[in-house]
Amino acid sequence: MTQRETWLAWLFAAPALLLVAVFMYYPMVGTFIESLYSTSFISPVPKLEGLAAYRRILADPAFATIVWNSLVWTVGVVVLQNLAGFGAALLLNQKLPGQGIMRSLVLLPWVLPGVVAAILWRFMYDPQLGLINSVLISLGLSDHGVAWLAEPQTAMASAIVAAVWKGFPFSCIVYLAALQTVDQEQVEAATIDGAGPVRRLFDVVLPGMRDVIVINFILTTILTFNYFDMIWVLTRGGPQNATHIFPTRIYELGFGQFRFGEAAVYGVFSILVLALMITLYFIVQRRALRRKPA
Amino acid sequence: MKLTTLLAATALTSLTFSATAQEKITLKFWDNQQTESGLSQFQQEAVKRFEAENPNIKVEVTTIPYPEYQQRLLTAVQGGNAPDVSTLDQIWVGAFAAAGAVMPLDEQAKASGLSADAFFKGAWESANYDGKLWGIPFNVDVWSFSFVNNALFKEAGIDPASIATFEGLKAAAEKLTDESKGRYGIGLFGHKGEDTVVVMNSFIFSNGGKVLDDAGKCALTSSEAVGALSYLQSLVPYAPKGIMNADSGAMRELFLNGSLALEFWPALEQPTLQKSKLDWDFVVGHAPEGKTPIGTYGGWNLAIYESSPNKEAAWKFVQFMTREDVNGAVVDLIPANVKAAKTFLEANRKGADRIMTHLENAAPRPLSPRYLEVSDIEVTLAQDVYGGTDPKQAAEKACAAIDALN
Repeated sequence: MTQRETWLAWLFAAPALLLVAVFMYYPMVGTFIESLYSTSFISPVPKLEGLAAYRRILADPAFATIVWNSLVWTVGVVVLQNLAGFGAALLLNQKLPGQGIMRSLVLLPWVLPGVVAAILWRFMYDPQLGLINSVLISLGLSDHGVAWLAEPQTAMASAIVAAVWKGFPFSCIVYLAALQTVDQEQVEAATIDGAGPVRRLFDVVLPGMRDVIVINFILTTILTFNYFDMIWVLTRGGPQNATHIFPTRIYELGFGQFRFGEAAVYGVFSILVLALMITLYFIVQRRALRRKPA
Repeated sequence: MKLTTLLAATALTSLTFSATAQEKITLKFWDNQQTESGLSQFQQEAVKRFEAENPNIKVEVTTIPYPEYQQRLLTAVQGGNAPDVSTLDQIWVGAFAAAGAVMPLDEQAKASGLSADAFFKGAWESANYDGKLWGIPFNVDVWSFSFVNNALFKEAGIDPASIATFEGLKAAAEKLTDESKGRYGIGLFGHKGEDTVVVMNSFIFSNGGKVLDDAGKCALTSSEAVGALSYLQSLVPYAPKGIMNADSGAMRELFLNGSLALEFWPALEQPTLQKSKLDWDFVVGHAPEGKTPIGTYGGWNLAIYESSPNKEAAWKFVQFMTREDVNGAVVDLIPANVKAAKTFLEANRKGADRIMTHLENAAPRPLSPRYLEVSDIEVTLAQDVYGGTDPKQAAEKACAAIDALN
């Protein structure tokens, strides 16, 4: 590349780089700087305290609770959402009557606005008036129903179920697209060799979709870790912090209590986790591209 | 010649216009709306009156839904785009004052003859922080009144007046609860929200307790406060399931559909109940035998921002909005001006005298710039208590957290 071409390349890349710098890196660097200062609404003049806020937050038992909740929430939603999405994709990949309508309908939870979906689930989980308890009581499985979102033992699981319902169409569509690319000759060859459906799934279909599965897991992990509206509408992080995760804690500290410095510390931890996930995503994507035949 | 005259006339006209434009002040006023009362429209009408009285001042009214209001205001202040005047929740006054966002109004109030006498005592106290006056009370209400379903009380053979005492309330709640019929005696709720705190505080206040003592230290471990918490815990079996994620709105739904015999709400609940087919009444809080029920003050004060270039005009507007003949027409809670409140309540609410008494007895929440953090700790306290933790231990945990804020 000549020097002129190099300059031209930089010139063409400059608008994109500028946008990325202004809208992505500036806020990230700003958050990190803010986390080193004690800043709140009532003390708007930033006071440098270095890593003291990090030490304080790390020593706070609430931080451990939030890390644990975030882990349970993210793993729970990602695993179940991908399993449900894959199962639905396998069904929708069959040549069944009404396949087109089913493929459209399965997208419904995904296209619903997050807050609407959360309100819907909040109604369904209502201990007195909710659909879920009505069904349980009418089937004789419960005497008076369960307070799904009000008990620390059931709140997180309930939120996970709602989030899986909202998110599984995304995984389903990705897997459905990937299933179309599986080499049908290999599937037929395996069938002729006597492999049953389960064997074909594990030995032919899944290996053929390996890269898509990994990328889908990483993407849904990023989305789920950052998922705010479902938990906020369902429980606001309660009861007794049983569903508090990073995004809800950041919102609560920043906008509920005006403690911007501490909110920034939680933000930095969030960025670190997400940066790790994004790096993984790119590594996997690059490997997948290298494996593809030219 | 003609051209010169024309140019001179044009120059003169533009000069006159620019002078007029400079004199005309535009005030930005922000308020929030908590009910479907058409508040924005009422305020616009009052603003027209203000503008007629003050031809050089134009007022831009921005009405923001309550759930978004705190965030919008905070972002505006942080971004240097604060309005000239806004309503401030009583519990934000300390923080906005400590942050230097709003200006003290002592001198203006003194010069205008505006004093505490015109307003409810608790409302005036809520605008005072660190020895200065930071706002003028605009509207008020009390958490809480206990709204009762007369039909359910009658069916159970209970006189609603009997629930004025702690003992009477518990006995009634027990009698009114029949889980097999899906009926509950008392609408306790404990979600993460301020309504949880104010109801709990009213029981603490009524039992003689406080949240913070006069020195600003946590007072929740006093025998009175712990007694109130133990009492609240004893009511849990008579409340609908799911207290820890329930809010006052959820209790309203159950009350309206006849599943709940008693709900806690401020007087602003009355328009909703008036539209329903329920036969309802209310009781002004609960206290142990021989004590007076003390509710928790809620409401908003009008504050002027330090960043406002139009402080004088803003003060005129604040005076106007809190005037006896205006205050009742521009609020959707209860006017903070006592005389306006009397007129407003008699025209719009059932049991005006009882409401006035409860307003006069009510106590404000702690006046601390870190109130929002105190409130968050109190929510945890409420959830611990409703979740079955020993009230004394829960109060000790809360006090350790509150005292660590200082």
